[in-house]
Amino acid sequence: MQETFNSLMMGFSVAFQPQVLMYAFFGCIIGTLVGMMPGLGPLAGISLLLPATFGLNPIVAIVLLAGVYYGAMYGGSTTSILMRIPGEAASVMTCVDGYAMTQQGRAGPALAIAAIGSFFAGTVGVVGLMLLAPTLADFALRFGPPEYTALLLMGLFVLAYMSGGSMLKTLAMAVLGLLLGMIGIDVMSGYTRFSFDIVELGDGVGIVPVAVGLFGISEILLTAGQAEPPRVQQPTMRQLIPSREDLRLSVGPIMRGSLLGFMIGIIPGSAHIISSFVSYGIERRLSKHPERFGKGAIEGVAGPESANNAAATGAFVPMLALGIPTSPVTAVMIAAIMVHGILPGPMLIQQQPDLFWGFVASMYVGNVVLLVLNLPMVGLFVNLLRIPYAYLYPCILAFCILGCYSVSNSMIDVWIMLGMGGIGYGLRKFGFDLAPVALGLVLGPMLELSLRQSLAMSGGSYGIFLVRPIAVVMLVLGLLLLALALKPLLFKSKDWRSKVGLDDQTG
Amino acid sequence: MQGTGMKSDGLKSDQVSGLMLFALAICVWWLNRAFPVGSLSDPGPGYVPLLLAIAFGGIGLMIAVFGGRSAPLLAIRWPEASRAAVILIACAVATLALERIGYRLSIAIFLVFFLGVVERKKPLVVALVAAGFSLGSFYVIGDLLRVPLPRGPWGF
Amino acid sequence: MKHIAFAVIGALAAAGVHAQEVYPGRPLTMIVPFPPGGVADITGRPTAAALEKILKQPVSVANRPGAGGAVGNAAVANAKPDGYTLLMALSSISVIPEADKLFDRKPAYSLDQLAPVALISADPVILVVHPSLPVKTLKEVIALARKQPGELSFSSSGVYGALHMPMEMFLHAAKLKMRHVPTTGGGPAITQLLGGHVTMTVGGPAAISSHVKAGKLRTIVSWGAERHPNYPEVPTFKEQGYDIVYYIWAGLFVPAATPAPVVKVLREATRQAVADPDFKSQMAKLNSPVQYLDAPEFAKYLDADAKRLAAVVKIVGKVGG
Repeated sequence: MQETFNSLMMGFSVAFQPQVLMYAFFGCIIGTLVGMMPGLGPLAGISLLLPATFGLNPIVAIVLLAGVYYGAMYGGSTTSILMRIPGEAASVMTCVDGYAMTQQGRAGPALAIAAIGSFFAGTVGVVGLMLLAPTLADFALRFGPPEYTALLLMGLFVLAYMSGGSMLKTLAMAVLGLLLGMIGIDVMSGYTRFSFDIVELGDGVGIVPVAVGLFGISEILLTAGQAEPPRVQQPTMRQLIPSREDLRLSVGPIMRGSLLGFMIGIIPGSAHIISSFVSYGIERRLSKHPERFGKGAIEGVAGPESANNAAATGAFVPMLALGIPTSPVTAVMIAAIMVHGILPGPMLIQQQPDLFWGFVASMYVGNVVLLVLNLPMVGLFVNLLRIPYAYLYPCILAFCILGCYSVSNSMIDVWIMLGMGGIGYGLRKFGFDLAPVALGLVLGPMLELSLRQSLAMSGGSYGIFLVRPIAVVMLVLGLLLLALALKPLLFKSKDWRSKVGLDDQTG
Repeated sequence: MQGTGMKSDGLKSDQVSGLMLFALAICVWWLNRAFPVGSLSDPGPGYVPLLLAIAFGGIGLMIAVFGGRSAPLLAIRWPEASRAAVILIACAVATLALERIGYRLSIAIFLVFFLGVVERKKPLVVALVAAGFSLGSFYVIGDLLRVPLPRGPWGF
Repeated sequence: MKHIAFAVIGALAAAGVHAQEVYPGRPLTMIVPFPPGGVADITGRPTAAALEKILKQPVSVANRPGAGGAVGNAAVANAKPDGYTLLMALSSISVIPEADKLFDRKPAYSLDQLAPVALISADPVILVVHPSLPVKTLKEVIALARKQPGELSFSSSGVYGALHMPMEMFLHAAKLKMRHVPTTGGGPAITQLLGGHVTMTVGGPAAISSHVKAGKLRTIVSWGAERHPNYPEVPTFKEQGYDIVYYIWAGLFVPAATPAPVVKVLREATRQAVADPDFKSQMAKLNSPVQYLDAPEFAKYLDADAKRLAAVVKIVGKVGG
């Protein structure tokens, strides 16, 4: 403990060097700005800035990139809350209740809670990273294909809690997402599926264009043609600050979301989207007023947003402790330090203590910077809503086209976004909930791959899922959740779905 | 139609959407015949899509069957549909133009169309917003972040 | 007013002419058909940085991973042949069209759609096992595999990918059967082995080095023609009596229809880039040996390599389905 403390102090001495501090600031600002562009998320931000870090020293480079990463995550939540445009897969859940709050004129509290939740989650993540990195990293490695399959299935089962509407419709949308995920080249066999001879589709359908289309574009299509444009909001100072009640409601979701997110974040793979969905499901289950979810419940912003940020920090555990990338983002960061001749791996903490501890310390600094930067900016961001909608929506559309194009310089992505906008518009008219499509799209290819990898490992025996303890625990947990969710359907007992509106003012 | 015993006053919205999902599932199944399905212990590339298509079709049918209580199809109003179509078509035209006449021109024209023609704002404001947005965003994304945004034949 | 209009048109016209005459007149994109952090990526980034200095234009690296590199390779093969889209491909580039032939499907691209510019690096791959496996030499691995036929498993970077081919060469030469667990790249393949989910994998010397040093992976044998300078204690297949050699090489390509003068500029730039001290020191830091060959020699090398790999693909046959 003493040793950790001393190392951390050394780390802070690195992080507080004016140059390092400046780059942390700089990274957070750039990241926030990039993240606020619709369609540009953390990965795009980091990839775009990577070449610029080659000339810097490795500590500064990684601190800068970490700042961009954090900033972009937060910037993405800003557009999700204000305009219903997710910057990355994990922000999809923030869109639902965050944007509903905005429509009720409560954008300020939503943004503030998102910032506070991110700060808390980031800090939990860094403490976890610092104290537990080596132990957790070994645990993370035990996640092979069978465990991953179980985790992904559990993530899908949580969907049963997601929607306030018809469970059949929720399932239909999840399967639609999974089907969209089948497009592209099959990793196991090399077959190209459902690509209609479009080369770009060989790589599959990207989550960002789909999410921006389904959420952002469809919202504009629904709103722009209304006879009465949405009224311009002019919130007072008082309305910008979360009320005591908001804070009280958010404490639990933030803490649970942070722990959950961190645990899911350290698992290799890019299933971080699960953390925000599971957190949302849990909060809805625990809430005394589940019917408020989807209509502007602050817990629905606090939980997923914290989970999402904690997962982002958790992803650094295997990266730093083992040198293995657990997501595309950490892969780029590994490349950034490898270019400087530092091999991330089990020896990193011993061989490059200043890098490791400097990085950890600067993550603390980065979190504080983001909070300091963003809380006062809430007022500024909310001012975007003062722009009359007639001016706002053409600019948002232009931003969406630009953002989707820039991620991989692909016109196909823009077409996907527009197509999904039209489809999302139609589906919403018919009362379908779109968040499960995003979850299905991300999980689909991973689920299929890990299932088939597991079977390849075992020579075709499904017994592999039953002899591995982690996998068994997760499968049982998932099935329990599913059973709990299905119970009211099967036994027609009363649950909140049928009581909506009856006990609104009890608790 | 399977009205599930409800009094029939035209099609219900869920019956229509459920059947549409079912039709989509049939399409997927049809396309998927090109890929070997494999076996339970050794799933091929067509295996998971086939399962999903079956699930999708099943859910679609169930939505249709249980959809008797949903709102009638005709109860869904489409007051914003024409504007939505205009928006989608304008976006498509802008996307087509992007690689032909360059980013800045197509976005500027796009904004002029929306602000000037659709929303009928003052010409000066329209010109300022269109020019400012297209040049400003190009500078930030294209020049500062070095994303190679499309340029037109005039290098602009 | 008229003057201004003329000046603007003149400037635009000049810009147009300018763009046509001088190559490169705008930023270039280097497509890396693998995820960030893989061999192609860590070779591609320093190369792009060095080219940037010589061409005086930004060279951005874009990862287009998928199916052992087919997606990125096809993207460049079908790109506009103007010299602004480069490809940092690995040896699997010749395997994918063979696999397409095998499946009797519309090929994603054919090798003659791409023109070699230069070979940048070549590195033999090394067989690594999990340290819990009670084997230390190739003989012991083979003995174990014979004792448990079809029970051992290996992870790879994807079917017919750069890490699948050498394993199949070995399995064929030693007449062994193993389970194959394809993943989405070199990094995930190593992660599977580190977690003990598979018995062995094949890795590039740079990718495995930190794990080998930390004792998390054990080296068995190398596919090199001679011993690797960073792993002098690891024997080669040749020494062990198997005539199999396999190098993962990374080479620069452009679409085949790229005009000769443009290719010449790129060849010249690459020749200078590999001599760049920054590039050299970066490649040395990455444990990635520079093995430069100019276009004509590279074409010959590629031809021989392609023939060898085509034979392996035929032996492997169709997997899945």
